[in-house]
Formats: sequence, C-alpha cells, structure tokens
Amino acid sequence: MTHLGIRAAIAAVMLWIAPAWCQSPVPRTPDGHPDLQGIWTSASVVPLERPASLKDKEFYTEQEAAENAKRVLGISSWERLGVQAREHYNMSQYGLDLSQVKVASTLRTSLIVGPDGRVPPLTPEAQKRVAERSARNRGHQFDGPENRPLQERCLIYSTEGPPMLPSAYNSNLQIVQDAGHVAILQEMIHSARIIPTDASPHLPAGVRQWMGDSRGRWDGDTLVVDTTNFTDKTAFRNSTASLHLVERFRRIDRETLIYEFTAEDPNTWVRPWTAQIAMVQIEGPIFEFACHEGNLGIANTLSGARAAEKAAEEAAKRENR
Amino acid sequence: MKYRVHLATFALCSGLLLTVAPLAAHHSFAAEFDIKRPVKLHGIVTAMDWINPHSWIHLDVKGPDGKVVSWMIEGGSPNALLRLGFTKAALPKGSEVVVEGFQAKDGSNRAVGQFVAFADGRKLFLGGSAPGAHGDGDK
Repeated sequence: MTHLGIRAAIAAVMLWIAPAWCQSPVPRTPDGHPDLQGIWTSASVVPLERPASLKDKEFYTEQEAAENAKRVLGISSWERLGVQAREHYNMSQYGLDLSQVKVASTLRTSLIVGPDGRVPPLTPEAQKRVAERSARNRGHQFDGPENRPLQERCLIYSTEGPPMLPSAYNSNLQIVQDAGHVAILQEMIHSARIIPTDASPHLPAGVRQWMGDSRGRWDGDTLVVDTTNFTDKTAFRNSTASLHLVERFRRIDRETLIYEFTAEDPNTWVRPWTAQIAMVQIEGPIFEFACHEGNLGIANTLSGARAAEKAAEEAAKRENR
Repeated sequence: MKYRVHLATFALCSGLLLTVAPLAAHHSFAAEFDIKRPVKLHGIVTAMDWINPHSWIHLDVKGPDGKVVSWMIEGGSPNALLRLGFTKAALPKGSEVVVEGFQAKDGSNRAVGQFVAFADGRKLFLGGSAPGAHGDGDK
C-alpha cells in the first residue's frame, strides 16, 4: 500500500468508527447529549386549535404556510384585540406585535397534532366542575385580589405551564443544561423550572407543586420530561391535580427546537392530547420581568370595581328617593 | 416536515380564516379603564417607570386655567422596548408628549395611553421600524 493509500485507509476507518453525532448539525454538550442551551422563542403563527374551516387538514403546503404566515404577521396585535382594543394601548407602539419578533415557520395548521386538531371534550365530571366554578365566581370576580386570575396577580402566567405555550408577547425562554439537570427560565413571568435528568424518582405523591414535579431522561437525542404532582391551583385548561404531562424536546438544527407535549388527565379530558411547537433561537438576553413589584394594574382594577359599586349604590339611593 | 425561519414582510392573504389565538393580555383593560372617559392629554414628561407588567409615564398637564395636574399613563411591558433599543435616556424629563387614551375607572388621574406621540406628531416609541426588530431580515 502506498503512503497515500495508508492515509486514505486510516481516514476511511476513522469515518467509520466516528460516532454519528460527530457529523450532526446539532451542537452537543461534553457528555454527548444534544445541547439545548440558548434563548428560544415559541412565538407562533398557528393557533393551538385548528380552525373549523380546515377540518382534518393537519398540514399546509409550503405555499399555504407562507401565505398564512404573511397574513397573520400582517395583522397588528391591536387589530387582533378586536373589542378589547377599545381601552387597550396600541401594542405595536411598544414592540409587542408578532410581526416585530422572530417566528419559526411550520407547515402545521394547529399546534395540536392529529386529525382532530382540537382539545378533546371535557368528561361529564369536568363539565360539572367547570360549571360549578364558573357559577361560584359569577358576580365575585372583583371582590379582592384572590378572585383575580393568577397571571393578573403576577403569580404564574397562563402560558407558562408546564406545558409551555406561546404567549401574546415576550414568548421567550432560556434553557441551561448540565450533566444532571436541565433548567428552563421563561421571561413571562419569572419561573425557573429545574428538571433533574439523573434518573431520580418523582417526589412522593403527597408533595404537590404549582408547576408539578418534572423529571427528565434522554431517549436517544430527545429530552423526555415527565411531570406529575400538580395541584388544582394552576388548572391547565381545566385540568386537575391528576394531570400527567410528557414533554419532548428535540433540537433538529442549530436554529430550531421542536417542543412537544402530551397532556393526560382522566378527570378532565376524554382522551390524552398532544401539541407541537417549533421554537427558534433568538438573541438574548432574557430580561427580568419582576411583575409583582410593579403591578399597579391590579390595584387600579380593584379600585375601579369599588368606584363602580359606589356609583351603583348612589344611583340606587337616588332611585329610592 | 420542514421548519425554517420565516419573516413577515408582505400584505394579507385574504383566502384563509383568521387562525391566530385570541390575545391574552396581562389584565382586563376594560376592568381598569373607562371607555366613557376618553382623554387627550398634552403634557411634559416628569418620569418614566420601567416596570413590568406595564410601563408608566408620568406627565404634568397644564389645564386651561393654568393649573398643572399630574397624570400617570399605562403602557406596554418594557422588555420589548429594551429589545428595540429604547433606553432609559430615550424619553428624557421635559419631553413634550400627547396622549390619547382612557381614564381610570376610579376617576384618578391615571389613563391608558392608546396612542402616545411627541408633540410634533412623531411616534414616541420605535415600534416595528427599529433595526433588529424583525429578526433575520435585518441581519
């Protein structure tokens, strides 16, 4: 064998023995797992549930997807607010429009996967529970801070999860990873979820947490996160403490992270359901939100309600005279 | 399945139904502000609070009788403004602005600023025209 031939043979053997990940476009951590770290946005041009007009059409053609994206991004958030816009600030002035941020494109017609494309129906038990809760709250929505939604109180954002969903704005999150943990920090509104990936078991069933208890493991190149031990305080689309969530994170290239979750709660839905979101990497930093400290809105909302009650009382007195 | 970064640049395509999810604002603006109390305030900025979930602009407004009244104007979350390059120095004290919006339901001198502009008509905030505001396309 010539000198050149020997070098070629060595190169061929090296290529053969090289692990597949050496050739992968996906960055890796020193322990060989895909590197999910970075700042990502889940901003999306497709809704969670598929519009009825699209029936069981799960994917657009490339042209349809491009047209949908152009159309959605061409509508300002303020226009999209509809009747809410009457008293709302113009969101595009504050850089809060979807067209003002980076958005991953997708051929999906809804984030929910499958031919149905919608959240499954509630069980009869869940329908009763939701109706009772709604009846209890009616007329008391402004009694005090505890009657207001959790996100208005700056406790936890409605899209913060888990599972995570795109927010109306600032749909940004940061992933940090080491050999035994993955941490997810979401800009809206402050929670850092620390997920052990060390094969440790879930917390005892008696320990319940607002964001549940998440445990991760690697299934090949996919990070699989199993979350249980929820409470009923952060009901995700009417779920209960028995919500069981499986999330999958798969980095398909340097720019794109595919996030998928399957939600199961036999006390709430007639069947489990799955949604998938394409996230794209953005430049940082993530800014602190620190919502509670500056939340003048809730005080104004409650004082507005008190003023309305006083005005109604005075009007009633005048009528009785 | 193919994913790629997409950029908004063109006009609407009217053939398909609106498919975006309804917006979930931080709070109900209708609960805080009164549609029956529209305001148009011409004033001088005395401070801007860079606080979440909403920024607040403090304004001194001179009435027809010459009396100065202080107002607070609610705006969007500062995070996106910071990303657009808007800094603490971008709205100095003494700036003259015009605010159109609605007064608080409790009748206090607070309002939501639907439209906020400099007195000469220029937009106060950078909006979508700022470099870097559109992701990839500006690289």
